[in-house]
Amino acid sequence: MTARTAFWTTLTDPLIRQNPVTLQILGICSALAVTTSLATALTMSVSLTVVLTLAAGVISLIRRHIPDTIRLIVQIVIVASLVIVIDQILQAYFAQISRALSVYVGLITTNCLVLGRTEAYARYHPPLPSMVDAFGNGLGYSLVLIIIGAIRELFGRGQLFGHQVLPLADAGGWFTPLSLMLLAPSAFFLLGGLVWAVRSVRPEQVEAPEFAPPPRPEAAE
Amino acid sequence: MMKGLWDRETVALMLLAAYMPLALFWIWFGGGAALATLWIAVLCLAFWNFVFLLARAQPPSVAAVVTALAIAMLAPEGLGALRLVLGISFGVVMGELVFGGWGRNVVNPATVTLSFLGFGFPGYGWPGFDDPVVWAAFPAALIGVATGIMPAAVLGGALLVAGAALVLGAPVAEVAPAAWIVLVLLVVDPVTSASTSLGRWLNGGAYAGLVVFFATGWSGAAPVQMAIAAALLTSLATPLLDEIAITLWIAKRRRRHGRN
Repeated sequence: MTARTAFWTTLTDPLIRQNPVTLQILGICSALAVTTSLATALTMSVSLTVVLTLAAGVISLIRRHIPDTIRLIVQIVIVASLVIVIDQILQAYFAQISRALSVYVGLITTNCLVLGRTEAYARYHPPLPSMVDAFGNGLGYSLVLIIIGAIRELFGRGQLFGHQVLPLADAGGWFTPLSLMLLAPSAFFLLGGLVWAVRSVRPEQVEAPEFAPPPRPEAAE
Repeated sequence: MMKGLWDRETVALMLLAAYMPLALFWIWFGGGAALATLWIAVLCLAFWNFVFLLARAQPPSVAAVVTALAIAMLAPEGLGALRLVLGISFGVVMGELVFGGWGRNVVNPATVTLSFLGFGFPGYGWPGFDDPVVWAAFPAALIGVATGIMPAAVLGGALLVAGAALVLGAPVAEVAPAAWIVLVLLVVDPVTSASTSLGRWLNGGAYAGLVVFFATGWSGAAPVQMAIAAALLTSLATPLLDEIAITLWIAKRRRRHGRN
């Protein structure tokens, strides 16, 4: 019973409480780059979750045999091989999305989220918990990507998954697309707003202030 | 008079008084449409200031009216109320209120709003200005400098670089009126302009330099658009300029006295 609860916690913790993107601010380069549409965001999420889960499993299996001095090299080799497999599959079956994602699938190799989980968790835990943890982190990353991708596609083009949801002003509707949403800065704003929202709901995630404001003059008198 | 006369609201009121000539001439030439835009901007700003008053106990400031004036004067034309409110909400909340209100912001909320509107709705035309409105910015700057709320060195740096560009024959004649109004309305804002002497000269110079650079190299952009882009980039660089000025001052002291 306790084992099951532990698995459940490992799986659900990274969704919001320990979300890798909004709490640890990991893996945001790809989160910003591929979220102009929901389809690319979803593909990227699935690719990363698969790579992360498999890599955590493999690394966890050989965790007692990896020499400490070259462990990063070994981890990257494993992750890179998995990424190449995923990339080939995407190119073979989803050529259009693969072109839209361009280099970002390849860059999963260097995604700090992947290396962070394998380095921090998979190296010290047996395969099953490692894979559950990796899968949970993949889901947490996916959650953020899908939220941001949906907002950007909806307000930038009035579409969701390429279907016109809001009628465009050009075609007789009322919605004028906000072109800023398709540019990179909007992803920063949205991610910042999302972090703000999460930390308003869960104040325990708020970082300690770096500076204390000077005392107010009337209080000093 | 426990705390003296010059608190934050005095500065805001003086700033408002300084902008009066500019505002009156602009309303005179813009008529009802100008007043309506200004009214929407004031309402939206008042609403957000009120929200932050309730949520975070941040005292609202009269400076919101100055921000509203700058936004109403420089916003793209024909946006409609909804887009204007969206842009103002973004610019004022993200540019000013989340930092703790007027006086603690790093960038001018009006600059953020206008950049947001420019990038977000590129299909709308930028406003032009009648000559009397451009001239009315001179008394505004004069009152501001005379009362000490606008940094004279920023204006000086900008005019110096602009004059140099004119002498060297850069094509600045077209962009000059819009750049002058943006300089008076956005760049010399006492909060977001530099706060060291040397930093202020550099600040003004950087703004004018960017305007000249855009005027020579950025084809297809409206004068106001170039000036606002220059104002945004300058305000982002301003803390760095202050940092440079302070570093130089420390180095000079160390050379003179052998220690800090």
